[in-house]
Order: sequence, then C-alpha cells, then structure tokens
Amino acid sequence: MPQRSPSQTVGPYYAIALPWNDGGRVTGCSGERIVLEGHVRDGTGQPVPDALVETWQAPDRDASPSKDGRPHGFGRVSADATGLFRIETAMPRGPVPYLDVTILARGLLRHLHTRVYFADEARVRGEAAMAPLASSPRLATLIARREGAGHYHWDVRLQGEGETVFFAT
Amino acid sequence: MNDMTRPDATDPPYLYPGYRSTTLRAPKQPLVQLPAGTLDVPFATVGKAFVKDGDNDLTVHGKAGAPLGERMILTGRLLDDTGRPIRKSLVEIWQANASGRYHHGGDQHDAPLDPNFAGLGRTMTDDDGRYRFMTVKPGSYPWPNHPNAWRPQHIHFSLLGNAPVQRLVTQMYFPGDPLLALDPIYQSIPEGARERLICRLDLDAGVENYALGYQFDIVLAGAKSTPLGI
Repeated sequence: MPQRSPSQTVGPYYAIALPWNDGGRVTGCSGERIVLEGHVRDGTGQPVPDALVETWQAPDRDASPSKDGRPHGFGRVSADATGLFRIETAMPRGPVPYLDVTILARGLLRHLHTRVYFADEARVRGEAAMAPLASSPRLATLIARREGAGHYHWDVRLQGEGETVFFAT
Repeated sequence: MNDMTRPDATDPPYLYPGYRSTTLRAPKQPLVQLPAGTLDVPFATVGKAFVKDGDNDLTVHGKAGAPLGERMILTGRLLDDTGRPIRKSLVEIWQANASGRYHHGGDQHDAPLDPNFAGLGRTMTDDDGRYRFMTVKPGSYPWPNHPNAWRPQHIHFSLLGNAPVQRLVTQMYFPGDPLLALDPIYQSIPEGARERLICRLDLDAGVENYALGYQFDIVLAGAKSTPLGI
C-alpha cells in the first residue's frame, strides 16, 4: 500500500495560484441566496490576512455543468488585509443546514476542518454528527449569526479565547 | 481526541515552535473526532474546461521568451492510500522562479523577478491518475524565521481529491538538498514520512538535451466517495 503524503503549509504566496476568479461565488446550488462573512483571527485576536477559506456543500443533482469547469458547491476565497472573508452561496439543503469549511494559512502545517451551521443551537446540538460536542459550550463556535435577510456572520478563531472547534480527519 | 503534538505518523503537528508562525495559529484545543465518514462526502469534480492547453507548461507564458533556469519535467501519479489512481482530479502548483523569487507582491527578497515566469500551473490527472508539468527548477530563498534561514528548493502542490477528507496541500522537495536538514517546515514532518515529499530524478521522464525529468507520486487519504459528475 502506498503511504499517505504528509501535509505542508500553504505558505504566504499561494495567491499566485489558488484564488480563482469569482471563487467566493458558489455555483450549482439553488435556493435562498446567502452571504457569509467573517474574520479569521489568531491566538492574540489579530487578523490572519493570508488565510484561505474553502467551503464545501452538495450541489443540485440536476445542475448543468459549469461553462468554465469550476466545481459546483465549492467556494474558495482569500481573506483580505483585515482577515475578512466573504462567500456568496445558496442556503445548504437539509433540516440543519451547514457548510463544511477548510482553513489554510501560513503557519498552519496542516489545513483545519470545521463547519458553519445556519440553525439555532438547540437544533445543532441534536445533530448526530455533533454528538461529541452535545454537552460542550464550544459548539456555539460553529453557528453563524444572522445579521439580516440572507446575511450571516461567522468568525474563525484559530487559537485562544473562543477558539473555533476543529475536526480530526 | 488527538494528541496535538504528534497527531499521527504522517502529518506535522499544528504546533511546531521551530516554525515560528505556528505559535499563534496552532489550535490549542484537541481536534474533535467526528463519526466515521462525516467528511467523506462526494465533491463535484472540476470540469475539463477549467484547465486550458498549456496550463501545465510554466515555461511558455512569457511575452519575451523562455524563463531563466534549469528546465525540468515533473511527472507522477495521484493515488489514494489503497493504491487506486485518482482520476480526472485537479492538480495545482506554484513556485519561486530560478532565482528564488515569487511573482507575488509580498515577496521582497532581493533576487530578480523573471518577466517570463509567473510560477503557477494546473492540470487534470488522466485515467491512470497521471499528471505532467514542464517548469524550471525553483531557487532557494531566505525567510525571516531564524537567522540565516533559507528554504530548500520546493514546489507547492494543492490537491482536491474526491471529497473534503482527501484535501491536501503540500510541498515537493528535491533529492540531496542540504537545506532539508535545516528547514523547520520540512523537519516538522515525523521522521519516516518526510522522505515521501522528495521527488526522484527520472531521466526517462525528461527530454534529451532539453529538460531534466523528475518523478513525484502523491498519496491522498482513502475515501469511499466517488466524484459527482458535473
């Protein structure tokens, strides 16, 4: 059996290649349009301006292929100088909607996996996948705050006070 | 729950003080183990149109000719850890030029930019999981991690695989580079796994009197998911 290749940091210069044109606008997903914004911050609360945020969700089964070949249901966007990222997509399907999220940055030797839910805490707490966190106050770090029609805010704290829950893969 | 200092025998820990930037970015709480298969959900594949002819040749995009440096052809296969090829999957690379300078505004290293080298490439694996790039060998460059810190020559790789559980970003190194022993990013990988990121000289993959060949296979975590068609 071949052995898995180890991870290495994405480094400070990934912007040469990884951010795609319009990468923050997710295609192939119908439904209520939403905008997700938030800041990525480090252990002292400082912004992480070189973070790369990726979001994953199931696209529509009947979505026609994208003309430019971009994968449906996938968002990829760099944070700006203030650590702010912005994803435009459709509300994920399912009774307790969520996006899977990957965070990459200089200083992260492996990427981080997390999740952002668009539902109230009681419903997230009842999710089978969240059973390991059922009684943890940290579950709240996975829930986006609704700020208006179709607008959600969700901050990612890599370390320290209010540290976001990250998952083993 | 994982041991954060040595999570497994393959990947680096998040906190590796020799690489200073990990100090404030590594999570301190243990990672939470989700029920098996939670992240093994299929992912919409990248369509053919995403990659244009020539995107895998980093030497042909200069307006004024070829980039400087030692021309090289890099080939390899993308596999999962059962040895199955990962087909029609996106491979993205980026790198410094032959002088050790990235075509990026944040790179202030006093080495020349090459107007004929942007340093990015992409391709799709074939039905056998194979990929191929034409490029030039990247130079080493200093970085401010510690006194006299120089990165070994490397090419960055990004792989999407078929599901979030397979996502991998890594770096490929060259055989015999004396800087490997001194590089905290490379040394952060557990002993016994580091060498998997060193490519192999493969003269047969090159083109005689034109480009040296190197070979580098990449192995992603196993996934049950097969790609969703798009």
